[in-house]
Amino acid sequence: MIPLLVLWARVDQRLANATSLVAIIPIAIAAVPIYYFTKGSPEVDLRIALFLVIGSVVGAYVGARLLKSVPDRPLRYGVAVLMLVVGLKQLVFP
Amino acid sequence: MSWLDVAAIVGGLFAGVLSGLVGIGGGQVFVPLMTIGFGASQVVAQGTSLAAIIPTAVVGGYTHVRQKSVDLEAAAWTGGGGVVGAVAGALLAVHVAGPVLARIFGALLIVSSFLMFRRARAASRSASFPPAGRPGEPGGDEPITPT
Repeated sequence: MIPLLVLWARVDQRLANATSLVAIIPIAIAAVPIYYFTKGSPEVDLRIALFLVIGSVVGAYVGARLLKSVPDRPLRYGVAVLMLVVGLKQLVFP
Repeated sequence: MSWLDVAAIVGGLFAGVLSGLVGIGGGQVFVPLMTIGFGASQVVAQGTSLAAIIPTAVVGGYTHVRQKSVDLEAAAWTGGGGVVGAVAGALLAVHVAGPVLARIFGALLIVSSFLMFRRARAASRSASFPPAGRPGEPGGDEPITPT
């Protein structure tokens, strides 16, 4: 989503990161029923989910506040590095 | 509370910061954390990750919206497109083997990351000549031919 926004729609990096996170909300909500009805009945470990969310909700707020103060250059390179790492992981360990 | 719960909070915190900062859902951190760290199966990891992504994205997204750093129109378009893509992907996934899809996605990300590197370098070179228009608006950065 971020490369789509930055490379194709030419959206500013900072704006692209924030916009991507908002766009994830409807996708994740739509993915839940599809995921549950097409792949049998995958289990959710509610205990782990609860503790993950306790951490991630605080983290998401902190990260979102941080975005304003991170300089442009490291932000751009950071996103590119993250994409490279995730891409390599998907390619080697699908 | 076991050490596993504490590890989940710390891992969640890390995923959340990355999510708020970079705009990923957090699944890229949640899933390996659970399969490699907690020994959960891939199915449970994905199901749990999907459940954890929604509140994370809601809090991070709401914070961004309040800071007025979101292009709501672009979010609606990409979100809407993503919903269609998610349905198409789920239907496609029935016919195409999972690892094949994951590899295609990985290759796409690697190509994109190189393009992003190139753009980051170009941006730092032209940093002394900022574009005239408001960033994020078509025409602000470079003119886009309307179709």
